[in-house]
Amino acid sequence: MSMQKAVDNNRSSNAGLSMDNQEKLLADALQNVRQHAFAMKRVLDQQSVMEGLKHAANMLGELRTSLLSPKNYYELHVVVVEELHHLELYLTDEFEHGRGSHDLYEVVQYAGNIVPRLYLLITIGHVYIRANELPRREVLRDLVEMCRGVQHPLRGLFLRNYLLQCVKSLLPDTEEENQEASKTGTILDSLDFILLNFSEMNKLWVRMQYQGHTRDLQRREQERRELRILVGTNLVRLSELECVNVERYKTIVLPKIMEQVVSCRDSIAQEYLMECIIQVFPDEYHLNTLNEFLKACRELSASVNIRNILISLIDRLTAYSTRDGSQQNIPENIQLFDIFSEQIAEVVKSRINMPPEDIVALQSALLNLSLKCYRDQFEYGNKVLENTRKIFDNIALDTQVQTGTPAAKELVKMLKIPIDCYDILDVLKLNHYKLVLQLLSYRERHTVCMYIINSILDKETIIPTAEQVTQLFELLLTLIIDQTDSALETSRQTITNEDFVEEQNLVARLYNNFQAPNDPDQQYHIIKICQDTFKNGGLERMRFTYPPIIMQAYALTFRYKNIREQDEKWEKKCQKLFQLCNQLINTLTKLETNDLPLRLYLQGALAASEIGSENAETIAYEFFSQAYTLYEEQAGDTRAQSASLTLLIGTLEKVTCFAEENHSTLRQSLTQAATRLVKRPDQVRTLLLCTHLFWSAQRLNESTQKSEQVHDNEKVLACLKKATKLTTQIMDQSVQVQLYNELLNTYIYFFNQNLPDIDITLLNSLIEKLQNEMSKISSNENDEFIRNQIQKTFDYLRQQSQLEKFQGLQINN
Amino acid sequence: MATIDADNRREIARLPSRPISLEDRYDPPANFLEIEVLNPETHGFGNKRYTDYEIRMRTNLPVFRLKECSVRRRYSDFEWLRKELERDSKIVVPSLPSKAWQRQVPAFLRRDDGIFEDEFIEERRKGLEQFINKVAGHPLAQNERSLHVFLQDTTIDHDKYVPGKVRNS
Repeated sequence: MSMQKAVDNNRSSNAGLSMDNQEKLLADALQNVRQHAFAMKRVLDQQSVMEGLKHAANMLGELRTSLLSPKNYYELHVVVVEELHHLELYLTDEFEHGRGSHDLYEVVQYAGNIVPRLYLLITIGHVYIRANELPRREVLRDLVEMCRGVQHPLRGLFLRNYLLQCVKSLLPDTEEENQEASKTGTILDSLDFILLNFSEMNKLWVRMQYQGHTRDLQRREQERRELRILVGTNLVRLSELECVNVERYKTIVLPKIMEQVVSCRDSIAQEYLMECIIQVFPDEYHLNTLNEFLKACRELSASVNIRNILISLIDRLTAYSTRDGSQQNIPENIQLFDIFSEQIAEVVKSRINMPPEDIVALQSALLNLSLKCYRDQFEYGNKVLENTRKIFDNIALDTQVQTGTPAAKELVKMLKIPIDCYDILDVLKLNHYKLVLQLLSYRERHTVCMYIINSILDKETIIPTAEQVTQLFELLLTLIIDQTDSALETSRQTITNEDFVEEQNLVARLYNNFQAPNDPDQQYHIIKICQDTFKNGGLERMRFTYPPIIMQAYALTFRYKNIREQDEKWEKKCQKLFQLCNQLINTLTKLETNDLPLRLYLQGALAASEIGSENAETIAYEFFSQAYTLYEEQAGDTRAQSASLTLLIGTLEKVTCFAEENHSTLRQSLTQAATRLVKRPDQVRTLLLCTHLFWSAQRLNESTQKSEQVHDNEKVLACLKKATKLTTQIMDQSVQVQLYNELLNTYIYFFNQNLPDIDITLLNSLIEKLQNEMSKISSNENDEFIRNQIQKTFDYLRQQSQLEKFQGLQINN
Repeated sequence: MATIDADNRREIARLPSRPISLEDRYDPPANFLEIEVLNPETHGFGNKRYTDYEIRMRTNLPVFRLKECSVRRRYSDFEWLRKELERDSKIVVPSLPSKAWQRQVPAFLRRDDGIFEDEFIEERRKGLEQFINKVAGHPLAQNERSLHVFLQDTTIDHDKYVPGKVRNS
């Protein structure tokens, strides 16, 4: 006997295996099925039940094959079941019209081969129960037991699956028997039925792996996986019964299922069935059977991936407890956290080869649970983080987790959980968070820090106290100062590296979220802390991190000014802030761009001027002269110099706190600087700007302590004349004409300002000159722009010529 | 109805059955036997060459002392086994792949390498594998000491060998 089976296994697996062979076998089988089905339908139309059954039996004979792969057998099965349905409909119809035969249940048992016999028996049984021909309970019991006759795994699985599908609507789902009909059965009978079917199917399913040569084991395992839903359907059916309550689940259903799952010692079955149980039954059931379920988990075979099962369960219960936004779905007596925490520890202890990433994944799920279900009790989350750190300390104290490993990835995922759940102020309350962060290598720490910053910026969280800022910086240290384990990265920290720029920009943006809304002193404290932290970051980082500090400091001086009634020390505080900024900007001058520090100095001068505190003039002058020095250092770069000078002039025009002595020094310097610029057009333009320094710029009148405009006519005219003279020396015709236009515009401005010595005659002569010069420029596209500018000037003048002031203006087309 | 009348008609009543134990349900079946013939190697030089094969066996049948073993055997060992079984057991022993006399004609008269040709060796290997699987699976052959010596002793010591029967261990 054993020889024959062993040999048959080898033969059948070799014969049917090739793809083409399978296709042909399936096609042949399908054709036979259709032929028999056709014959069956034809004789049924003629009311010959016996003939119909005979053809049906022939058709079902195709399901006796051992040669098809499970996938192909399934396809065949589907078609056969479809055709069998016709028989069922026909018989049901007969009974409805009172023409049913009463002995079919016995007749079909004379069919020669067991597979067709049982399929027919199930079909007839189904019809008879529905038609009340036979008592339900007896028939169901009969069918589920008789299916034992097919012990071949594949055929048996599909047969029992057909049984399950057929009785879907027939399973009794009541507490007590129906009084009218006899022996209809109760919920307990249904449970017996399904549990027996389940245990038989599981047995067959597990047996599949032994069918054939050991070299084909992988293929068989894959085929088993494809068929798993057949076994799982039993569990689904159990979950659909309404009379199953928590009590029955706990005492009957779960223990019976677990018995099979644990004792089969097959990892494919165990993994699938445990997941199935979690998914298929409602969460209240799981809550009430946690201990039993978790105990069974510990008894699973060693190669089962228990991590996914536990995580699945934890996540499901977490979702359940936070459904509808409340945390009240879990009854008081079930301490979810404690139970899982304990059980996970047990599982980890019992599986010594569990890889660290699995342990971390479990801790992550637990962390998720504690943060979502116990939102305001930080000690739970803290405990999980502490335990995680301990696990790694036990493996290797003070060693980092290697970058890129699965364990590192899981740790990163874990650290993201609190960031997602809470805002950063609550995260800071988890004081063991940084313990876990320190476990990671540079690249992962970097990822987590970026994530944290992005989260703060997205959620627009405000961080109001210096202490919290300090705690936050502790976490973000990886981005702020050079790390000992980032040798490769340090070499790439320049502004040419896009990632570095992005990273530091984010750190800088973080600034805007450090706000102590009602407490300027606290804000000052924050600024100091930021400075203390960032000064260790190296020059390249300071390029990004210092400017926000400086700008915030300036903003803070304004705040102090606003509360000057309440705070008598406000001026000293402003002084300290400006000194701080001076120091910081000074550091920045070591960078190669002079533009940034120059602008920051000028901004400072403006701020000091607006504040008007007692030392404002000294401070503003100091800043201004520093800016001037930086300008002088730009000697080699004409374009930069010209731009910087423009900035200087513009700023001076706005600064109002200089007394005459300082103001005139600055006016002179800037005007001379204008004439010393290398290119003529720059000289002209800048001189024109300087005219405003002598007119609308304001200086402080010492006696009245009020600022007044300079209004120095002579100097204005001198500048204008000089500018005109320089313009005549320009060789490029188009540029010259353009500048004449700009000159004219400036003269018009001062004419409107009623500067003495600028009268209509002067304007007319300028207009005439311009009109003459205009003819010299070409008519190509480049000069189109200049022509338009001039046209605009003339249009303006024409408009104004109506006014009394402009009487005598000579402008023609 | 067939189901109800069972109480009155004992001849068609269901036989009482004991539920099967959990071990019997899920344990691997106790009839596992796999024998492979692999790795043919030709040893020696010139006229004194011969080819042997690895016989690898895995089983959980109780009658075999070792559950896993691997030995090397040559064609003449198979012939010896067949002779022993034909004499001592009552089974009709299947035939071996052919002796290939043609191929054993002297080398200078043949165009190819005779019995050391790769194709031929592969053909022979398949035949030997079929042979040994059929034989070892037969319960009556499993009782013969010759089979056990062939499959599980590292070398067949013809001096020490005494024919006999093996009972279940």
